[in-house]
Amino acid sequence: MRLNDDVELIDGMPAAFIRSLNSIVISDPHLGYEGVMAKRGMLIPKVNLKHLLEMLDACIRKTGADRLIIDGDIKNEFSTVETEELNELIDLLRFVKEKGIRLTIVKGNHDNFVERYKEPFKLEIHGQEFAENGYLFFHGEALPAKSSKTKFMIMGHEHPSIAVFNKAGKKEKLRCFLYGSLYGKKLLVIPASNYFASGTEINLYPKEELLSPVFKKANVDSMQAIAIGYGSTINFGSISSLRAL
Amino acid sequence: MIIKVGTPFSNEESLAALNPYARSWFLRNFKELTPPQKYSFKLITEKKNTLIAAPTGSGKTMSAFLSVISRLFNLSLEGSLEDRVYCIYISPLKALNNDIHRNLARPLDEIYNEILEKKGVSIVKENIKKVTIAVRTGDTPQKERRAQLEHPPNIFVTTPESLAIILNSEKFVEKFKGVEYVIVDELHELANNKRGVHLSLSLERLAWASDFDFTRIGLGATLYPMEEAARFLVGYSGETERDCNIVDASWSKEIDVKVISPVKDLIYTSGEEVEVQMYDEINRIIKSSKTALIFTNTRSGTERVVFNLKKRFGYGEDIAAHHGSLSRESRLEVEELLKKGSLRCAVSSTSLELGIDIGSIDNVIQIGSSKSVTRAVQRFGRAGHSFREVARGEDIVLTRDDLVECTVMMKSAKEKILDSFNTPKNALDVLAQHIVGMSLSSKWKIDDAFGLIRNAYPYHNLDKKDFISLVNYLAGSYVGLESRRVYGKIWYDEAEKTFGKRGRFIKVIYMLNLGTIPDEVAVNVIMTKTKKWIGSIEEEFLTRLKPGDIFTLGGRLYKFEYARGMKCYVSDAAAAAPTIPPWFSEQLPLSYELAVEIGKFRKRFGDVVSKCVKKPLGKGRVYLEDIPEKAFDFLKDFPIDEKAKVALFGYFAEQILFAKTIPNNEMILIESTKEDNSNKTTIVFHSLFGRRVNDALSRLFAMIMGEIMDIDVAIMVNDNGFVLSTDDEIEVDKNLIKDLFSDLVSMDVEAMLKRNIRKTELMKRRFRHVAARSFMILRNYKGYKMTVGRQQVNSQLILKAAEEIDKDFPIIKETYREIFEDVMDLNRVRNIIEEIKKSKIKYKFIKTPSPSPFSHNIIAFGHADVVLMKERQEYLKVLHKLVLERIGVRNAAK
Repeated sequence: MRLNDDVELIDGMPAAFIRSLNSIVISDPHLGYEGVMAKRGMLIPKVNLKHLLEMLDACIRKTGADRLIIDGDIKNEFSTVETEELNELIDLLRFVKEKGIRLTIVKGNHDNFVERYKEPFKLEIHGQEFAENGYLFFHGEALPAKSSKTKFMIMGHEHPSIAVFNKAGKKEKLRCFLYGSLYGKKLLVIPASNYFASGTEINLYPKEELLSPVFKKANVDSMQAIAIGYGSTINFGSISSLRAL
Repeated sequence: MIIKVGTPFSNEESLAALNPYARSWFLRNFKELTPPQKYSFKLITEKKNTLIAAPTGSGKTMSAFLSVISRLFNLSLEGSLEDRVYCIYISPLKALNNDIHRNLARPLDEIYNEILEKKGVSIVKENIKKVTIAVRTGDTPQKERRAQLEHPPNIFVTTPESLAIILNSEKFVEKFKGVEYVIVDELHELANNKRGVHLSLSLERLAWASDFDFTRIGLGATLYPMEEAARFLVGYSGETERDCNIVDASWSKEIDVKVISPVKDLIYTSGEEVEVQMYDEINRIIKSSKTALIFTNTRSGTERVVFNLKKRFGYGEDIAAHHGSLSRESRLEVEELLKKGSLRCAVSSTSLELGIDIGSIDNVIQIGSSKSVTRAVQRFGRAGHSFREVARGEDIVLTRDDLVECTVMMKSAKEKILDSFNTPKNALDVLAQHIVGMSLSSKWKIDDAFGLIRNAYPYHNLDKKDFISLVNYLAGSYVGLESRRVYGKIWYDEAEKTFGKRGRFIKVIYMLNLGTIPDEVAVNVIMTKTKKWIGSIEEEFLTRLKPGDIFTLGGRLYKFEYARGMKCYVSDAAAAAPTIPPWFSEQLPLSYELAVEIGKFRKRFGDVVSKCVKKPLGKGRVYLEDIPEKAFDFLKDFPIDEKAKVALFGYFAEQILFAKTIPNNEMILIESTKEDNSNKTTIVFHSLFGRRVNDALSRLFAMIMGEIMDIDVAIMVNDNGFVLSTDDEIEVDKNLIKDLFSDLVSMDVEAMLKRNIRKTELMKRRFRHVAARSFMILRNYKGYKMTVGRQQVNSQLILKAAEEIDKDFPIIKETYREIFEDVMDLNRVRNIIEEIKKSKIKYKFIKTPSPSPFSHNIIAFGHADVVLMKERQEYLKVLHKLVLERIGVRNAAK
């Protein structure tokens, strides 16, 4: 689905494509999730990385992108690096290398570690945010800097989803993009690409309960919920209209 | 071979089987042998496997133990009683263990003292020892456990879980070598669930470890079919079923119960009036008895009844509640007070229906229906302490369906038509625990382990492929090699066909996570504004709530706002009525057998009534003098009071006048109708096959209808039928119903249900339980205790991930099995569909302008609590007025 001339949401996937940067943008993959959960006693099958790579492969083939931007929380654990996470990070870097694409990482709140691997892996890492060609990429746990050059802001962090009820009263939860504005500029919130993060049901939550301080400034109710499910991406209308349902 | 023992042995034969000291102790303390004892003394002395079914107060415990004690004193007198365990007694209730200890300590002391008196100091020379007994449960202090290891008791009293733990204590297992008897008490509480399945495997592991095929003794109240219970108890030795003698003394106590309707008219009497009459009735019974016991089915009902009795009649500390949500201490206290006889009345949900000796109860009151004949027999059997006394009780009904149900139930109880139980078969999650447990004590050849497992009755038909795939799962083959260190609990050598334990931590993980009872979730309900805690609701209820829904909690109305994790945020609701019916998963389902009996009754009584009512009855309400003689004659043999007879006749007469049809067990009535002021299309299926079958049938019909019409269909399941409804306006006619049935009889039932269940909360919840039992989600792990909330995290996605690994992943397979076989009753559903195919079960379609009388409770009650009934009753009146107008009765309401 096209948002405008330059930004496209890739059908059925939690990923955006920016034509002028020839880049795919995803957020919150939380690599090593299963390994970290296993250490807490939840021995769930490992599928997150496999899914992520399959999805990226499909996105690259579809768009011809030569760059991947990860908008924060590339891995799961806050401060330490678990072996599982490191292994999966290496697998991702190998994939990126094989595909011959450039990787850009925005640091998220779970990513304090990555600096340590900046040198050995020659990673391109940005701190809180980075701007390029009128786009501002930031993770979302803090407010972005205001800049007149910025036209379009992209964040992750919130793991948005919506809940819809069918006529029989059954609830269905769908991951979604949120599209609206902040400081008079366009704002796009990207859903989590992590397999296990089904997200926060934005239309059932009070605004003040949301994670990101961005929603103290941007009115989430006026944002469009563009949901992903069953292989397609569809605009479900504003959060306020979804709240009223 | 499983043999039902016919005639009892004579008193002389029975007593001759005992050791002289044990015999004289018995004769000094008891006047006579009770019915089970006339069989058991001799059988057990001959070391025959024996299953004894007998009611409370029939000397059941002594019937099992006296022969064992007698054998142990024989050994003692020969000077050959060793410091080891000869008899293991297992009960599902910890409280029962302490009781048994107390009850056995006395005969053991007294018999020994008698020997001492007679032999004097020569007992030292002859090495005559005292027979010892000790209790081992989760509560046993460390010091005592060590003492038990140093001086093992001859009689070892424990629970299924503690036994499983001890099986992995190598030092203690040594003391089990050559154990001669295993007694399993309260078998009816074990044979029908996973806890019992777990025990059945423990017993086979015990037989393997003790290297001795011990005598198995089972004790239970009411068990049907008894052959199945016997097989569960004894299992197999290789391909041969072990022998077992069945002693059925369960009917040795007479039951005299009357079904009581508190008022003549269960529809138009106001809710307040029904309550007043009900509590007056209860009070009258309490006043006329020394100690009464009341069953309410639900915990909230228990609280409500206690509150009302205290408020209305000024009772104080002499009335007490007993249910699962109360602390262990307060439950024990109530039990103690009952034993001492210092309570006038105890009120219980279900918790006092089995177990410990609670002293002399002279009246049992059941409010509403106990939903199964077996349960009714158990509950009312609590009255009358000795087996010679008649168990007296009253069943107070509050709705017309309860009235029919209880009438049939109490007749069935008299005629000994019980509902059957089912043992879960091939449960992979329970097996997973034991494979890990087995690997902890030694290295196993696959075939040896498989052989041991197949000796347990619930696993005799286990598919080897399933076993191997389970072993593979436990070995962590679903993750890469480098992660198996964390994921694997055993190692498995495919070439050598052997397996064993992996790593040092597994034993601790095993000990901490063992067991079959899942953690249950209470969702906290909190006021959004003040963050004040209101109470709690069940997790499954939360998943049904949409923002704006209004529900009752503790007698007040709240509006659901949103949920975060295990917290549910609400605000005060200004509305008059809830928009969503209350939900109690603890509600007991109507059994299949009882449903069929109700169906038969409906058919027979329906025939009688239809001959009596050809025209409107007039006057609007039916009084006793209006009951025709034929109907009165028919009801003569039913244990119900006069008011109940009037209400019964009226109920059937209205249905016949309104719909000309009484649905029964051989005819499903499908009624397309309109509810008041609503465009909703409502189709009521009157299907009398019990709730578990209805649960599955309703899903199947809803899916077929959804597909044919391309609409969303909502389901409401009830004991006497189910309702399909949709907001879409659709034309329901004969052809649609015909299509529904022709699709039903031709489809793959299991595949269809799988599709339906896959995305339900039921599936998620059960998957979490199975995953926890199979050690995939560890509740206790390296000092990290996982909350239920966290266990619940994304179980939907974990399930999806597991499916991607393998569609037949053991945990998924077991989840479906549990739902299809334990929650629903898929085998019976298949049989019923087969009968429909052969037209042995017919169906009839009618259209009604408003719901027919028999559908009122199905529509209005949904899932509900018997004692909380005001709003529903108002609604019932509305429905009922419509009926009376239609059948030409004017002046219907007061």
